[in-house]
Amino acid sequence: MLLPTGVRFENFATEGRYIHTWPQATWLAALLLALVLVPHAVSLYVTGVLTVMFITLMAVYGLQVTVGMAGQINVAQSAFMGVGAYAAARLSENVPFWLAIPAGGLAAALVSIVFALPAIRVKGFYLALTTLAAQVMFPIIVLALPSDWLGGTSGMAVEPIEIGGRMLSTPLDMYYFTLAGVLICSVGAFNLQRTRFGRALCAVRDNELAAEVTGVNVSYYKVMAFFAGSLFAGVAGGFFAYYIRYVTTENFNLLLSIWYLGMLIVGGLSSPLGAILGTAFITAIREAFHALGGALLTAFPNLGGGLVFATSNVILGICILLALIFEPRGLAHRWSVLKAAYRIWPFPHS
Amino acid sequence: MKLQRLVSGIASSLSAAALLTFAPASAMAADYVMSASADFTGPFADVAPSTVSGIRAVAAWWNDTKGKELGTNVDIKVHDMRYDASVVASTWPSILATDKPIMHLGFGTPDLITLMKRLPGDKVPMLMSTAMVGLVWKPNGWHFSFRPTYSHEFVGLLNHLQEKKGGKLTIGAISTQTAAGFVDQVKGVQKFAETNPDRFTVLDVQWVDASPVSVVNEVRTLVRQQPDVILVGGTTAQVVATGKALRELGANIPIIMSTHNGLTEVAKGIDLKEIEGSYSAFAFAPDNQEALPVRDLYTKYHTGAGNWGIAAAQSSYQALLALRVLEQAIAKGGKDAVTGQAMYDAMLGADYSEASLMGSLPDIKFDTTAPFPVGKLKVKAQVVRDGKIATLGNDWLPVPDLPKW
Repeated sequence: MLLPTGVRFENFATEGRYIHTWPQATWLAALLLALVLVPHAVSLYVTGVLTVMFITLMAVYGLQVTVGMAGQINVAQSAFMGVGAYAAARLSENVPFWLAIPAGGLAAALVSIVFALPAIRVKGFYLALTTLAAQVMFPIIVLALPSDWLGGTSGMAVEPIEIGGRMLSTPLDMYYFTLAGVLICSVGAFNLQRTRFGRALCAVRDNELAAEVTGVNVSYYKVMAFFAGSLFAGVAGGFFAYYIRYVTTENFNLLLSIWYLGMLIVGGLSSPLGAILGTAFITAIREAFHALGGALLTAFPNLGGGLVFATSNVILGICILLALIFEPRGLAHRWSVLKAAYRIWPFPHS
Repeated sequence: MKLQRLVSGIASSLSAAALLTFAPASAMAADYVMSASADFTGPFADVAPSTVSGIRAVAAWWNDTKGKELGTNVDIKVHDMRYDASVVASTWPSILATDKPIMHLGFGTPDLITLMKRLPGDKVPMLMSTAMVGLVWKPNGWHFSFRPTYSHEFVGLLNHLQEKKGGKLTIGAISTQTAAGFVDQVKGVQKFAETNPDRFTVLDVQWVDASPVSVVNEVRTLVRQQPDVILVGGTTAQVVATGKALRELGANIPIIMSTHNGLTEVAKGIDLKEIEGSYSAFAFAPDNQEALPVRDLYTKYHTGAGNWGIAAAQSSYQALLALRVLEQAIAKGGKDAVTGQAMYDAMLGADYSEASLMGSLPDIKFDTTAPFPVGKLKVKAQVVRDGKIATLGNDWLPVPDLPKW
């Protein structure tokens, strides 16, 4: 991490802290305060959009672990999210949410191991295909299971969250609930890469042979990369289930998995900050296109909604392409460059 | 001029968005608000203008006639839900806070799965225009449709075809396993065949992609078993692919479809002559029925985008039933006592005759056992004759009893 001039550490514990300077702490506190206050300044709709964005971010954090840190392609994050959602929905009948959601995460993580095993032998496109199989199999298996297990074709209703005898049912309740969840996930995601486990994943990503030579059990860490990434996805699924309060297989499709991957690539694979920026950027763009599409339809009623829908998706794709062409390392890298430029201003070069 | 319209459109949209973003609520000019879901920028965006036009035209007619008589009027607030459950979940609280609707006019599965558990607590009933699915066939809900399940609608037509043919009617089916609703349609028909084994047999079900390029192999497997009809209740792409496969195989077997993938939609992808004799079944009067008063009032009151067709017809009938329910609620508790609860009570507490619904729907009666009409269900159908969409007679086709599956 690039630090301002003059910052030095007296001991390892100080260096090990995530926040090193007062300005960093102030900015973080300001961000947290803004996150707490923002639903009071915007409409309920925007509050809802932010809630969904937080849930999405949890899933993208997981993808950052599997794809960004360990270099293992995963196009089934939405399916793993679905596993977590179904598990949480099933458990919501009998156990409180604070058990159901982590249990959903664990269920998704355990299921992911089955599809992670091929990662020991294959990589790249071949690995993508095995995870694609997970995505395709997910709805088929859920629908084929006896309906009293996971609801079959009917799907499953989710009991609302109750804390101290109070139901969390308003948009504000759900916003703060998911905000708490995403903050916990953020702490996990940002610290994971600084742990022995995280460094092992990075070693596997950078050079498998070199990692093996230095004592990293490559097979084990490849599987664990899926385990950890799907844990985040499962937790996101649990939050999603409590938010929508009904789960069906349609909510967890391949398109969503692709979007999650797109968000991570646009944001930057190398750090959880990329997941945050990518998720926020794509969400903002989608909402903007939605508003623009509505305006176009108002102005040109004969344009046809189908054309607007298709065009907005194409333009969204072009945005991603442009982001990749002009900033292949993602928005997170652009953020680092901007930050560095700010620190050394008015000098033009670092 | 167009640029001016675009700029004013963007400005009005931005101001609406700003209002939605920064202003919590505004006073309503209308006495009552009914909110409605639409999909202007999602997968069903092509039909959204027509769908919304049907609701708006009927509401305009009601305000101009019955509304004036009662000294009240209804405002329809349309919301773009993008056919996405998470958008519905995000938008619904602001609808409740801003619109304070007495009823919500729903559209599609995302509305159903997201709202069905919330409506009883929010005390707002929802009336759908799309057919129900077995997955929501549960008692004591606040979600309703004037259409029964897709399976009921198919069974009504299958029953008619079997009576016409005599003997046993053999059915092949093509669907997709990745969508619960489409699997549910097939299961309902299978259940019906199981309970009437002397009249119906489901020979085989071929599971294909939601948007298949070709289903020749699957259709060949079905054709070998010589079905009388092939049921394709899933997507338009599946119907088009099935039609093309039948042509390639030289087989002449009628396809049975619903409305969302019906003949109007299919005609955009295949020459109807190639699926001569195929049917589209649904529990309302076809848009091309000879005498149809709702079409006349649509023609009179329709303004803006959208055209009369199956989508506009469907939503017109949805609005008509909703307004008849409102009339009942007013009659029961007075103009000032109309709430979501009053609408729910009126919906369950009265019978709505075919005459009061201008012949667009059969007699409708709801109770707490199901989210769709109970009693004697009836359907109508369209058929391809000489390459054109025609009605399958003017009479309603009765739907035999179909046990829950």
